[in-house]
Amino acid sequence: MGAYVLGVGKTRFGPSSHPMTRLAHEAILGALSDANMKIEEIGAFIVANFLGGPNESQLHLNSVVAGLFPGLHIPGWRVEAACASGGVAIHQAVTMLSAYDPILVVGVERLSGRPGNELTRNIGMAGDVLLDQSQGLNFPATYALVAQRHMQRYGTTTRDFELISLKNHANAQLNPLAHFHHKPVSQADIDAGATVASPLRLFDCCPVSDGAAAVIISREPRDGRSVAIIGSGVGTDVISLAQREDHTSFAAAKEAARVAYAQAGIIAADIDLAEVHDCFTIAEIVAMEDLGLASPGSAVELIRAGETGIGGRMPVNPSGGLKAGGHAIGATGVGQVYEAVKQLRGEAGERQVADAMVAVTHNVGGVGGTCAVQVLGRLS
Amino acid sequence: MITCSCPSCNRRYSYPVIECTFCRVPLVEQETRTGEVVGVTEVSVPSLGHEEVPYWCALVARPQGGFAVVKRDVPTSVGDRITFGVAEETATHTIGVVGSGVMARGLVELFLARGQRVTWVGRSLERLSTARDKVVDRLARVMDEEQLSSAVSRLELSENASAFASCDLVLEAVVEEVEPKLAILREIEAAVGPECMIATNTSSLPLDVLASALSDASRFGGMHFFNPPTRMRLVELVRAPETSDETDGFLYDLSVSLGKIPVRVANGPGFVVNRVLMPLLNEAVRALEDNAAPAADIDEAVRLGLNHPMGPLALADLIGLDVVVSIMEDLHARLGDDAYAPRPMLSELVNAGKLGRKTGSGFYDYTPPPAP
Repeated sequence: MGAYVLGVGKTRFGPSSHPMTRLAHEAILGALSDANMKIEEIGAFIVANFLGGPNESQLHLNSVVAGLFPGLHIPGWRVEAACASGGVAIHQAVTMLSAYDPILVVGVERLSGRPGNELTRNIGMAGDVLLDQSQGLNFPATYALVAQRHMQRYGTTTRDFELISLKNHANAQLNPLAHFHHKPVSQADIDAGATVASPLRLFDCCPVSDGAAAVIISREPRDGRSVAIIGSGVGTDVISLAQREDHTSFAAAKEAARVAYAQAGIIAADIDLAEVHDCFTIAEIVAMEDLGLASPGSAVELIRAGETGIGGRMPVNPSGGLKAGGHAIGATGVGQVYEAVKQLRGEAGERQVADAMVAVTHNVGGVGGTCAVQVLGRLS
Repeated sequence: MITCSCPSCNRRYSYPVIECTFCRVPLVEQETRTGEVVGVTEVSVPSLGHEEVPYWCALVARPQGGFAVVKRDVPTSVGDRITFGVAEETATHTIGVVGSGVMARGLVELFLARGQRVTWVGRSLERLSTARDKVVDRLARVMDEEQLSSAVSRLELSENASAFASCDLVLEAVVEEVEPKLAILREIEAAVGPECMIATNTSSLPLDVLASALSDASRFGGMHFFNPPTRMRLVELVRAPETSDETDGFLYDLSVSLGKIPVRVANGPGFVVNRVLMPLLNEAVRALEDNAAPAADIDEAVRLGLNHPMGPLALADLIGLDVVVSIMEDLHARLGDDAYAPRPMLSELVNAGKLGRKTGSGFYDYTPPPAP
């Protein structure tokens, strides 16, 4: 049975004064309009969100979102898998199409307005409470350790991180919905960035964003603008670096990619563009290697050669990624599918990757404890 | 930290489970106390529960396999071998402490918590015993029985400076007046060996004056801890004119190993912190005199506007207004700047015996309300 994206919607990612309901509503209306559908046609819905509880004191989000279509009474669920909530929700929808059709997936998150130290603690809930949180291992620190291990093992440098940051910020300039769309970031900005957790500095880290994204997924395509989800996989792993043997690669991501590629009947060389989970610059390198876009330790060769830019051999994060596009956690994985659909339809405007036929999305929870990978293909 | 491993398939579990999910056989507990650092990050961003930055997160390879993440408040490098838990990590010295006041007590607590041996000398064994009980009481809040008995075994009390004979460092924290400090420094030098460093915790007295008590001042320096020393991370390191590089380096390294952030400051009036603090306190008093706002509002404004943990008037009450006035008078005399001349209201309060918290009133009233 097939799975097709009929419509996509997305708010701008970035600080917003609107509550989660309003953000989710904007994305849902966008997806309905894009699919030329009415809400009454939806069979079920899934809400992806990470920190509604600790940040907003709001749980039971499927019921909250049901308030955006009062009187409909359709089944709905909430999915939480830290920063992979969105990608896992898409996977859930794909696997549930035999029971409900079509399914609306909406990812939403509010991260602004909390004191920084509280937000850093809350995001840290994606790590193990005893093994990581009690030892002060917040997320910049977690990925800093990954960066250091990658540097030790493969000779990766902080200059490689800067190149990723510059590339993704340049892409965000072309994406009106990106967090940093209105703020060009130069080498001088990067040089002036404070160290957050060595070796990671300010511009190695993604911003925390408010935002929402929605997609409508069905068993059948509706028209030529429908985009096929030809593969979808989710992998899991132990939550803490302390429980792993390999700190330079995520087994969950490799497993999710293996399943998704097998389903899609593709190999990595078939991929025209990738939207990957670059919550920190080092994470883009790890993602490329886990997805097989480069062999372990060699992603930097593509990056140094400029081949991961929009016009390059292997465009990565044409949207600006999490790094510059923004990271509205629960919405991020859904937003990646939004971008893949836009690209495969040829609707990505200035950031369009030419002749894109196959796109891959890669959404990571924590430091690789969960990963969702989707392969999307243009109906030609 | 404790992990469990399966004797059959060798899988490791980080959680308190008793049976292998795969092999369905009982797991074996393994406790790890040491390991080698294979990765480390200096964390500069605070989070709830981890407000004090920087700190270091080390990824530690355990000898029986697997890893652990360990938070450290001392700089840590790849290749270091560390022991989990803070107490056993630092090089152990025998540190002499003189004095039985609040500051001396805090210093003894800090040194014991950091695994050092302490020889604590005071005028009266009875007062020292009372002070020791308070230290042990405080340590018991953060230590288990084994750690506490180790800490207690590393502490020696004496009424006689001769107990300092085997010390690596003696730190005096007696009353903040020149003559008693000169006297105790002479006693210390007479008791210690030739390699022993000597330091003063003075917050304001000139190091050259104190150094005059010693025949060998090259091993003498200022180590100004802040109250409470277990929590405050700053140490102002002050060099006397004769302080050797070796002494300076020793005091610096010791401060770092105690989890402190040492800052080297010149042997000038008030060093840095008091020199900057006193005009702030004085100006807050002047604002009160000028009716800029009531005391509580001045404190609230400064606390919120400058992100200070407490307002200046409450801080002055905590330090003691007599102490504040005496520091200001000293700085005023030495710097000749009227910004340091105690404001009339300060002097009036001191003359009225209202010295702050310790007397029950100062800028605020601290007397408990009468029982109903």
